[in-house]
Amino acid sequence: MDPQDLETLNALLEHDVGVSEKIKEQVKEFDKKVRIIVGILGKIHSTPSTLMPELLDSVDPVLLSCQDITTSIADVIPPDQFWRWKDMWSNSMRTAVYAAGLSEYLRNGSLLSLPRASEILGIKEEWKDRFSLPVEDYLHGLISMVNELSRYAINAVTLGQYEEPVRISKFVKEIFSGFTMLNLKNDSLRRRFDSLKYDLKKIEEVVYDVSLRKLVPPAQAMQ
Amino acid sequence: MLNSVLNVFEQFREDLDEGNDRRERLIKASRDVTNISKKAIFLLHRIVLEDATDDRALVLRAAVSGREKLSEANAIFATMRPELVGDRFWRYQRQVSPGLQEYIEALSFAHYVEHDTLISYQQVQDALSDSDGPFFPLTVSDYLLGLSDLTGGCKSDFERFTPHVRDLSKKQSVTANSLEKIEAAAYAVAVRGSEYDLPQEMLDDLVAQATARFSITDRHEREGGYIESHV
Repeated sequence: MDPQDLETLNALLEHDVGVSEKIKEQVKEFDKKVRIIVGILGKIHSTPSTLMPELLDSVDPVLLSCQDITTSIADVIPPDQFWRWKDMWSNSMRTAVYAAGLSEYLRNGSLLSLPRASEILGIKEEWKDRFSLPVEDYLHGLISMVNELSRYAINAVTLGQYEEPVRISKFVKEIFSGFTMLNLKNDSLRRRFDSLKYDLKKIEEVVYDVSLRKLVPPAQAMQ
Repeated sequence: MLNSVLNVFEQFREDLDEGNDRRERLIKASRDVTNISKKAIFLLHRIVLEDATDDRALVLRAAVSGREKLSEANAIFATMRPELVGDRFWRYQRQVSPGLQEYIEALSFAHYVEHDTLISYQQVQDALSDSDGPFFPLTVSDYLLGLSDLTGGCKSDFERFTPHVRDLSKKQSVTANSLEKIEAAAYAVAVRGSEYDLPQEMLDDLVAQATARFSITDRHEREGGYIESHV
């Protein structure tokens, strides 16, 4: 091989190694933050509704600090190379979306939109070819949120919040009907979508239990 | 709220479908490129092994025919260009790679036959271009993985890169293997040549047969082994 060509190739490869190492550092920080958030959100299962706002408020600063991470990653990605590197942080990203989505539901009872999720994570439109939140990752985050809500439905009842499972059931059914509109391939999103059915069933059983015992007004349970 | 959820997911469906359809189209195109490139390689093998009085003319004819065949692949690459603009290239790189690497193998073989040298990174990128510029960017790893199929001749140069390029070490061991086979063949010819004191024409025949047989066996083994397990 021509020595000069060899040098050029080596320089290119070394540049890639540099990019990858810088991303790795950031992803490590990202994971740390995400673990803290997941730890806090784990407490929702034993937090009464009166204390919930306070718990959720404590998530916000950590979640917002993820903006530093997305900015640092976007800075090191060469133009047009988003998809080359994104696998390195997609797990952390999905967990961050899960956390933001769960907070949004517990606070306002509403579904976190993809643009809003991007905004919370500080992802800017002008980064598009270097850093963005792909639909797949957003949907993975939503599925994790539903998984968690099916557990929360049970624990809310234990805490005496009998209407919560009814609200969750309605919310999750809407998300589920959204997912049924997608033509999912035989990939990880498809397999996780299948898990939604079990979550839905679990939540319905809780709703059944509370309405059977007249813990919620029947009209509300039917919604 | 249900309606708004459904509207949003309808948008997601379009987005996902577009990606999946494009992925399918690129897989198909890549497969077509693989077929053409394999044919080009066999074509080169056939011509190079023909008997000829003028070796240089034979070599040139082989190179021209190889190029001609590969121009069919170029036509496919040209149709792939709009599918791979901007950040799409890296999104679908894994679908493009298999055909591209086979193409680079064929191209580098044709280049080697004609010039006796290894085709450079820039020359491959130039081949993957037309008057409008490159069809898509050439990655270093596709270049190296394509070349590593060609020969063990540049083995030591390649070892520098192995830690950096995924799959290169796997291919490297295949390359080492084929190099050993060729050495064994050359050895057998040398030994038998001396033993029977064969005339020059017969020795040429023996060399031609031995290398042809080995390069073909080698290809078959590789297709059954590495390539398939990789796909």
